[in-house]
Amino acid sequence: MLKLIQNEWVKIWKQKSTLLMMVLVILMVFAAGGLMKYFDSKEPPAKSDWKQELQAENKNLKQNLEQMDMAAPSAIEYQKKQIAINEYRIKHDLAPDQERTVWTFLRDSTDFISFAGLFVIIVAAGIVAHEFSWGTIKILLIKPYKRWKVLLSKYLSVNLFFLLMLAVVFVTAGITGFVLFGSGEAANNVHLAYVDGKVVEQNLFFYLVKTYALNSLSVYMLVTMAFMISAVFRNSGLAIGLSVFLLLMGGTITNLLAAKFDWAKYSLFANTNLMQYFDGIPLVEGMTMTFSITMLLIYFAIFHLLAFGIFTKRDISV
Amino acid sequence: MDSVVELKQVTKKIRGKTIIDDLSFTVQEGEVFGFLGPNGAGKTTTIRMMVGLINITSGEITICGNSITKDFEKAIKQVGAIVENPELYKFLTGYQNLQQAARIIKGVTKERIDEAVALVGLSDRIHDKVKTYSLGMRQRLGIAQSLLHNPKVLILDEPTNGLDPAGIREIRDYLRKLAQEKKLAVIVSSHLLAEMEMMCDRIAIIQKGKLINVQSVRNEVETDKKTYLCDVNNRKQAIALLAKHHIQATEHTEGIQLLLETTQVPDVLKILLQNDLLVFEMKVIKKSLEDRFLEITQEEAIMHA
Ligand SMILES: Nc1ncnc2c1ncn2[C@@H]1O[C@H](COP(=O)(O)OP(=O)(O)OP(=O)(O)O)[C@@H](O)[C@H]1O
Ligand SMILES: [Mg+2]
Repeated sequence: MLKLIQNEWVKIWKQKSTLLMMVLVILMVFAAGGLMKYFDSKEPPAKSDWKQELQAENKNLKQNLEQMDMAAPSAIEYQKKQIAINEYRIKHDLAPDQERTVWTFLRDSTDFISFAGLFVIIVAAGIVAHEFSWGTIKILLIKPYKRWKVLLSKYLSVNLFFLLMLAVVFVTAGITGFVLFGSGEAANNVHLAYVDGKVVEQNLFFYLVKTYALNSLSVYMLVTMAFMISAVFRNSGLAIGLSVFLLLMGGTITNLLAAKFDWAKYSLFANTNLMQYFDGIPLVEGMTMTFSITMLLIYFAIFHLLAFGIFTKRDISV
Repeated sequence: MDSVVELKQVTKKIRGKTIIDDLSFTVQEGEVFGFLGPNGAGKTTTIRMMVGLINITSGEITICGNSITKDFEKAIKQVGAIVENPELYKFLTGYQNLQQAARIIKGVTKERIDEAVALVGLSDRIHDKVKTYSLGMRQRLGIAQSLLHNPKVLILDEPTNGLDPAGIREIRDYLRKLAQEKKLAVIVSSHLLAEMEMMCDRIAIIQKGKLINVQSVRNEVETDKKTYLCDVNNRKQAIALLAKHHIQATEHTEGIQLLLETTQVPDVLKILLQNDLLVFEMKVIKKSLEDRFLEITQEEAIMHA
C-alpha cells in the first residue's frame, strides 16, 4: 500500500503543473502581504478616535437593523454581532486592529486555503480520471492489487497533497507576516467571539489554528467530492468544474436557499462552515454542531460509497 | 505440459448483447497461442476478461489454477499483458515507467529492470521521456514492462502493431524464445494471418464472439490427401485424360490442380507421360492459413445467411 502511494506521489510531482501550483500559492501569499504593506504605508495607520468611529458605526448598524426585518435571520444576527463586539471594544478599551501583525495576517490569510484548495481539487479531479484518459488505468489495474487498494492509495495521496498545501500556506503566510509586520504586542493578541448573544475573549493563536482547521474542512469535503466525481464519471473536467463552482458559489447559493427554505440545512454547504458555531450565528435556526458533523459524515460516506462501489465493479473498456 | 490458462464456457454480454459466446480453450506452458479474428470478433474483449479488466457474465477463467475473478491477486501475479495499445505515462521516462511497475511488485530488482530494457533493445533511450518515443519504442517498453515480474503468461493484443518489418521479426523471434526457453505461455492476438502463422504454435480462430476452430500450425494433422499443382503443356487434354481414369483435375493459373493421395502420384504421372504430354513440374501446394481462415469464416457466413 505504501508503495502504491509512493507511485502516486511520484506521478503527482512529475507533472509540471504541480510544481507550478505550489509556486503560485507561495507567490500569492507573498503578493498579498506585499500589497497590504504597500497600502498600509500610504495610509496613516493609527486613528486615535477609534471609539468615536465605532460609536458612529454602531448607530448606522442599528438603523439598518430596524429596516431589515425582511432579511435572512443570519444577516440580522450578523449585524447584532457587530454591534455587540463594537460595544465590547469601547467598554474594555480594546482597539480594533490598528496595526497589522503576523497574527492578523495569518487570520486574514485563511482565504488562501480556498485558493490552495482549488489546486488540490484539480489534482483530486485528475488522479483517477487521467488514468482513464491516458489509458494507463489498464496497466495499473492488472497489477496484483485489489481495485479498492488502488483507489484508496489515490485518495490518501490526495490527502497528503492537501496537507502539504495547507502547511505551505500556513508557513508561507507565517513567514511573510512575520517579516513584513512583526509579531505585535501580546496584549492585542486576543480574538473577540460572539457566543450565545455575549462577547467573549479568546486566545488568538488557538483561534487561528481552529480557523485554519475548520476552513480546511469545507475545502476537504469538496476535494473528496471532486475525487468521487473523478472516480465515478472518469472525467476530470466535470469534477473540476462542479467542485470549483461549488467552492466559489456554494456558500452564496446556500445562503440564498437558507433564507427561503428550511431544507437548505441538509445541503453540503450549510454544514461545511463549522465556524458558524464558534463565531455565533448558525445559517438556519436550530442547527447545531452535532447536526452539521453528522451531515458531513453522511456526505463523506456517500461520496466514498459511490467512488469505491462503482470503481471496483466497473468494466474497464478504455 | 501443463495448461496455464483455461477458459471455460466464457460468455460476455454488454447491455443484453452477446459479445463473447461460450468460449472455451486452454493454453499450455511453452507455447505461443494465436488469437485470430477479423475486426470486432471479440479478441480484445476476451483479453480484457483474462486480465480482470471487465467482468465475466458467465463461465470461468483460471490462470495457473487461480480464478481471475475470485482470486484476482494470485492469478494476475502470473500475468504480464498489453491490452490494445502500450499505455504509458508520457511525462515519465521509460525507466521511471518501469520503476512504477517494479516498486509495487515484490522481487523486481534494479538488475531485472536493466535486463528487461536490454532484452527489448531500449537501453539507449530508456532515460528519455516516453512522449518522445515512437510507437515501436512504446511497444518495446510495454513488453519490457509486462515482463518485469517474470510472469508465467504473457498476453499481447496486436503486439506487432506499429512495428517495422525488422521490429516485427525481432519481436516474433523474441516471443518464440520466451516460450521455448522460459516456458512461458504466450498469447498474441492479431488479424494478420501470415504473421500469426509464423509466430504461433496453435491458432484459435474466433468470429463474432464464437470460437470457430483451434489449429496447430506446426505439427499439422496430415490428412491423407494433398493438393498438387501439375504444370503440363496441354491442360485441357490432361484434364480429359485423367477424367477417364476417374481422377478429378481442375484448371489452375499455372497448370492443373488435383487432390491426390501420395500413392496416386506415380499413376497420374504415368498417364500423362504415356500420352506424350510434357510435365514440367509437379508440386504440393500447401494451403496457407489465410485460405483456411477465409474458407472457415466464409462457410460460417453462409451458414448464418
Ligand atoms: N464497451 C462496449 N460496449 C458495447 N459493445 C462493445 C464494447 N466493447 C466491445 N464491444 C463490441 O464487442 C465486439 C468485439 O470487440 P473487440 O474490441 O473485442 O474486438 P477485436 O476482436 O479486438 O477487434 P479488433 O481487431 O478491431 O481489435 C465489437 O462488436 C464491439 O463493438
Ligand atoms: Mg482489439
